[in-house]
Amino acid sequence: MIIRKSGWLVFIVFFAALLALVYLLAGPAIRIGMVYSLEKAVGSEVNINKVGLELAPLALRINQLQITDAANPTHNSISFGHARASLELWPALLGYYVIDELTVDGLQYGAKRNEPGKVYRQPGTDGEKVDLAQLLQVDLPDADTLIARANLQTPAKAEALKQLAQDEQQQLQNLKSQLPSKDSLAQYQQQIKALTDSKITNAADLAAKAEQLQQLKDALNAEKAKVEQIKQQLSQSKTALQQAVNELKAASKADYANVQQLANLTEGGLAGISQILLGDLWAERISQLQSLYLLAKPYLPEQLPQASSSAAPEPVLPNRILPLPSQPYPDFWVKTARVNWLIGGGEATIALKDITAQHQLINSATRFTLDVKQLPQLAAFNLSGDFAILEQMVTNLNWQLEGLNLQPLSLGQGDTALDLAAGLLSSSGKLNLTNNQISQSANLVLNAANFNSSGNKYLQQLAGLLNQQQQIPLNISASGLISAPEVSIRSSLDKLLGDALLGEAKQKVAAYQSQLQAKLDSQLQTGLAGQQDWAAMLSQQDGEVADVSASIENMLNAKLADVKDQAKDKLKDKLLNKLGDG
Amino acid sequence: MLTLLAKILKVLNSEASPWQIGWAIALGLFIGILPFGLLSLLIVLIVCLLTVNLSTFIVVWGLTEGLMLLFADPLERLTWQYAQNEQLLQLLANTETLQLLHLHHTLTLGAFLLGALLLLPVAWLAKVLVLQYRSRIMTSVQKWKIMQMLKASKLYALYEKMN
Repeated sequence: MIIRKSGWLVFIVFFAALLALVYLLAGPAIRIGMVYSLEKAVGSEVNINKVGLELAPLALRINQLQITDAANPTHNSISFGHARASLELWPALLGYYVIDELTVDGLQYGAKRNEPGKVYRQPGTDGEKVDLAQLLQVDLPDADTLIARANLQTPAKAEALKQLAQDEQQQLQNLKSQLPSKDSLAQYQQQIKALTDSKITNAADLAAKAEQLQQLKDALNAEKAKVEQIKQQLSQSKTALQQAVNELKAASKADYANVQQLANLTEGGLAGISQILLGDLWAERISQLQSLYLLAKPYLPEQLPQASSSAAPEPVLPNRILPLPSQPYPDFWVKTARVNWLIGGGEATIALKDITAQHQLINSATRFTLDVKQLPQLAAFNLSGDFAILEQMVTNLNWQLEGLNLQPLSLGQGDTALDLAAGLLSSSGKLNLTNNQISQSANLVLNAANFNSSGNKYLQQLAGLLNQQQQIPLNISASGLISAPEVSIRSSLDKLLGDALLGEAKQKVAAYQSQLQAKLDSQLQTGLAGQQDWAAMLSQQDGEVADVSASIENMLNAKLADVKDQAKDKLKDKLLNKLGDG
Repeated sequence: MLTLLAKILKVLNSEASPWQIGWAIALGLFIGILPFGLLSLLIVLIVCLLTVNLSTFIVVWGLTEGLMLLFADPLERLTWQYAQNEQLLQLLANTETLQLLHLHHTLTLGAFLLGALLLLPVAWLAKVLVLQYRSRIMTSVQKWKIMQMLKASKLYALYEKMN
């Protein structure tokens, strides 16, 4: 092999052709790549008007990007007019994407499309965006639902007591058949009388009668033992029934407390009406923030604790950068970004600094602020926060919203519909997300609310009460795992609203309590009162048997003494006769 | 496909030296498994400067790029697993030239090592196979219809002329 003389020339031509090709085709190629990957990710039509590459300084420009909302194809989920990212050359040659400045103009959520976009995949329930109207759209629980939610224990315990009483009664019935009847006792007495009334002729006769009497005595003792056994059984049965009754009483008490708690009957309100109405819903909405965590997860350092060992394969970047001990730049780093957001009939600017997933390399957190004032539908909105992945992934968010003009909306449906004709919403709060643990607190105040309802009288009453309020405050806090947060919603109006809304529930609870008491009484009557009769009867029988036994004993002893006297007299007569003859 | 086969046969039957073909195959394989970057340009420069058979190089490059659609992912994972060596990472972090060549990227590093490892054996093996082909099979291949057609074509005449 030798050196090719024209080699340099060939290489220069190749290189120049390559550069020309990149310059001409990079834009369309990136456009096709972006459309393909975005459509794959969102499952609906994505349009990009043009992608251009600028060489000096190196920058990428995207014109008119529209992502169709899969749930509503006539509208976009996100769209923007222009975006420009200027890339630093040297880091780019080393394989790091350091974007000096990113600008996005005309960002819009939910803008109407010129023509409906195609939908390739129907959206699932996960990951839908937080919608205030939907957030408040709940069906108010009725009394039966509340009672069902209370998970009452009493009916089960009452049923158990009934069953136990039946079983015990059956057992006692069986034992009753084993008791000595009055006839058999009379027979015993007759036999004894016959024995004692008969004359004793000699010693052998005496022995035979004593033997017969002893047999009768043994038989009577056996009957007595049976009575004892039944008495014992009865006592056990009494204890078991008493225990079941106690359990029933305890369950009834616990149920009552539970229902009271749900219906907010107790003073101070263990759980507010707002918790019952909005608690589960808020938890569900908060857990949607998990998509943020999942989005950042592939970029988290390996040593960070992972949220869960899900079966889904982890996404892997096609050509990862190795974890170098001193990396000169983060894998990607947007130094400054400015997003011009069209919102509520006006414009807002979001400023972001240091967007990256490797904050330890730049020794700074990602910061963002959003400041909006005097929009047609909103007096002021301020959002600020930071995000950093260091030892843990930490996100902090603070917001202050004032005078958001609520559009007329309808809460609930049909009989439980409550319409909000007008209202001004203000809110302030903060949120901290550390890995997958959330801690959030927020104040919401609804001013000058105008509700009306054509639903049932309770809702009309509720609407009236709400309209009388100058402010409707709500305190919302959430903590715990982001996928299943524990949410607490409190309002100073809880007691008032609870009384109004749950009046029906309270009546039902009271009715249920009295019904329960009546049932309980009848259970006790059939279970215990019947037993008392049994006890009296058994005591009587026991007494009778004991009496018979005692009289037998007496009769037996008396007869034996009598027999001895007769024997003595006979011996005396014989001796006197012999002495007389002598 | 037929053109591709004809191209290969044409090169094998040409006057190009077995080493030129061997190196073209080895370098084509090397550039094919590498993700496109500065290293690829360096290989192109080497190929341009040395009298490596260009058409063989381009054909093998194209074929290997196709194969890498299948093998890039496992190679990337394998490199990530075995590259967690403190000394290697330190070296990559301290040498900017290596970063300029993108050797701190998993797939690039893995492909570079694999390509460098295969370069000499593949070149030698290809040379041996070309020699074997020419001494044993070439005469019968020359009689194939496809070869006759090829030789009659204008393109072949042009190729002969250029060589």
